[in-house]
Formats: sequence, structure tokens, C-alpha cells
Amino acid sequence: MKITRKVQAGTMQSSDLMVFLEPAEHLTVTIESTVLKQFGELIRAKVDEVLARHHVESGEVRITDRGALDYAIEARLETALLRAAEE
Amino acid sequence: MVTSLLSTDDLRQACDLIDASGLSFEPPFDDLVGIFQAGRLQAVGAREGRVLKMLAVAPEAQGGSLLDEIVTVLVGRGYQEGLDSFFIFTSPGQVTSFQALNFHLLAASSKSALLEYGDGLGRYLNRHRQLVTPGPNGAIVANCNPFTLGHRYLVEEAASQVEKLYLFVVREERSLFSFDYRHRMVREGTADLPNVILLDTSSYAVSSVTFPTYFLKNGDPGGVLQMELDLLLFAKHIAPFFHITRRFVGSEPLSPTTASYNAAMQRILPEHGIEVSELERVDAGSAPISATRVRALLAEGDSRQLASLVPETTLNFLLSREGRRVWDPKGEAA
Repeated sequence: MKITRKVQAGTMQSSDLMVFLEPAEHLTVTIESTVLKQFGELIRAKVDEVLARHHVESGEVRITDRGALDYAIEARLETALLRAAEE
Repeated sequence: MVTSLLSTDDLRQACDLIDASGLSFEPPFDDLVGIFQAGRLQAVGAREGRVLKMLAVAPEAQGGSLLDEIVTVLVGRGYQEGLDSFFIFTSPGQVTSFQALNFHLLAASSKSALLEYGDGLGRYLNRHRQLVTPGPNGAIVANCNPFTLGHRYLVEEAASQVEKLYLFVVREERSLFSFDYRHRMVREGTADLPNVILLDTSSYAVSSVTFPTYFLKNGDPGGVLQMELDLLLFAKHIAPFFHITRRFVGSEPLSPTTASYNAAMQRILPEHGIEVSELERVDAGSAPISATRVRALLAEGDSRQLASLVPETTLNFLLSREGRRVWDPKGEAA
């Protein structure tokens, strides 16, 4: 899947996350989270897993998280990826 | 649900809610949104460029997620318009509630605080990481509208006293000469000084975010709070990153806003280990050289005296076809 346009998904509410995607030459992932210290690595692992499953190899991925559970992370990121790849 | 506030009745309710929260309704804005419950406006917020403002929630609706919903929409729409970071000014007491929304504190004084969402500052600094040297380095922040012999003297003098001189040209487009033209005049006018490194300020110094009243030139007292935040941001984030231990500035006999900015510099920066060096302005004729004076001559269409006020590089630009289009759009000057 290829990120072909700039999109956003999610909300800034508690237990949710905002996902921002835009086209870029290389793949960069930045994660900000209110629980980064405790769960930063788990969030990163989940994000990497979803990106790998959808064969995303380039694009700028920015996430701001407010303690979302991993299925919420997966759902928001997949939604954003589908929007970014739409015709 | 968050909706755009457009009708007269929407606006009246927005004004009331904002007033009741101790804020004031301050146009202009690019986006104004709110949440209604049973026909009554319960939450409101606006965005002007990168700045979120007039965020208010009715007392009976506080503690829920209305503020989060408002900010989500303002940020989401702003992102679609090409903005990748957002600022908010608030009182020090509100800082933690915005930090919970992933805003980062950029600067806080006793009366106000500036926060950013999207870590634009981190990305701005990272882009310049390869330009950082161990120092000790110096800095000048200048608009250079246009680049004069006064700027040239300040830069040359400062550059001779430090290892690297970072010259931050104000990014904001609120001046007669566009950023690209100002940047070009500075680049050409300092090309012979090898230890001068040109940078742009982005939103992080003397911008419409950190210091909007700079561009008004009226000595607005409300601007004092703003310039404190502007200088604290410089002292806490920008200066340490570039190993800047001195900031150079020209003395300011003419503009009250710039004079009080210089005074605030002397007050704030030394506490953070940054020495402020104020250099006397150079005179031409009987008055100090300033960009304001150059613009006044240009406005009169008088290009004869320019050579005593600006370096040759700037003069060549001002008299070029491209330069003339800026200050003499009708082509009347001889």
C-alpha cells in the first residue's frame, strides 16, 4: 500500500490517537504519547507491524496518542492508510 | 458534534461564551467551530493560521471531552490546509490540560504560556543539526527589510567576536520585501564573511506566533508579555541547540517596540547564560541608518541617497528590475 496523499484519522480524545500521513521519499515514523515512557515501545511495535502488514515502504507517519489500546491503534492507522491510498 | 459557526446567532452565542470564560472575541480567524447541546452552544474554539485561540467550554459542560473534540477538528482541518504544527497561548494554570492533549510547553512566564502541538520545533531544529558547531557561537535575529549598512556593520562586528554567527532572518511575510528577497539581500551582503551562517526563524522567533505586535510598531504594552515568551523560547530551546552564548543587537533610538524588545532581552537572556551585546547604530549624515529610513526614501521614489545607507549588493538589488517592482510597482521613479 502506498501513501499517495495527505490524510488524518482519529481524535484527540482520551484513549484515542491522531494519525497523520503524508507522502515522502522515505518511511519515517514519529510517535508522541502521554504514556510514551510506559508504553512507547509497545506502540511503536504495533505501528511497525501494521505498516509492514500493508507493505508501506515510504511516507511520513506521525502519531499523537493519549493511551489508546492496541486495537484502537490498529484501527486508526488502517483507516488512515486506506484513505491515503484511495483513488 | 462539532460544527462550523457561521450564522449571526452562532456568532452571538460564541461571543457570549468566550466573554463568560474571561477571554475576548478577537477576529480574525480562519476557522471557528463549536458544539451545541439542546440548541445552546457549549464549547467553542478558533484557529488563526497556526494559532488556536478563543477555546472555551461552558461551566456545566466542563470535565468531559468537548475541548478535545474542538481541538481535534481545528487541528484536522488545519492539517488539510497544509499546517503541520499548532500553537496555543494560555495561562500557566492551564498548561497541564493541554499537555494531556500532547501539546508541548515551549515557554512559560509568570503570566502566560506558549505550547505547541505536532513538535514543529523539534523538526525545525533537527533540519539544522549539521550546522551546529561546538561554539561559543553568537546570534542575530533580524528582519532586514531591506538589508542596510547598519545590518552589515552589526553582522561584521558580531562575526569577528564569535566562532560562528547564526543570522536568523525573520521568516514572517509581513514586510515590504518578501522573505526570499530579504534572504537574498542578506546572503549577498554577507557572502564574504565565512563564519556567518544564515537561517530562517520559522515560527520560533519574532513571528506572528511568538511576537505578533513586532509588526505593528506602536509599542503596544500587551506586546511585553509576548516578547517575554519569544525570548524565553530562544533562551531555552534555540540558543542551547546551536551553542549560542551571545546575542547581538543594534541600539534602537527610533522604534519604541524594538527598543522595548532590546530592554526585555537585557532583562531575560543573561539569566539563561546568554550575554546581550548592544552595538551602537552607525550614522549616515546626521541620523542613524535604519531599514525604516531606507523604506521612507523608497516610498518617496528617492534612490539617490540609497548608496550611503545600503551595501552595494542591496543597492544592486533595489535598482534591478525585480527589486524596483517591490517598491515602485507603477514604475514612476526615474
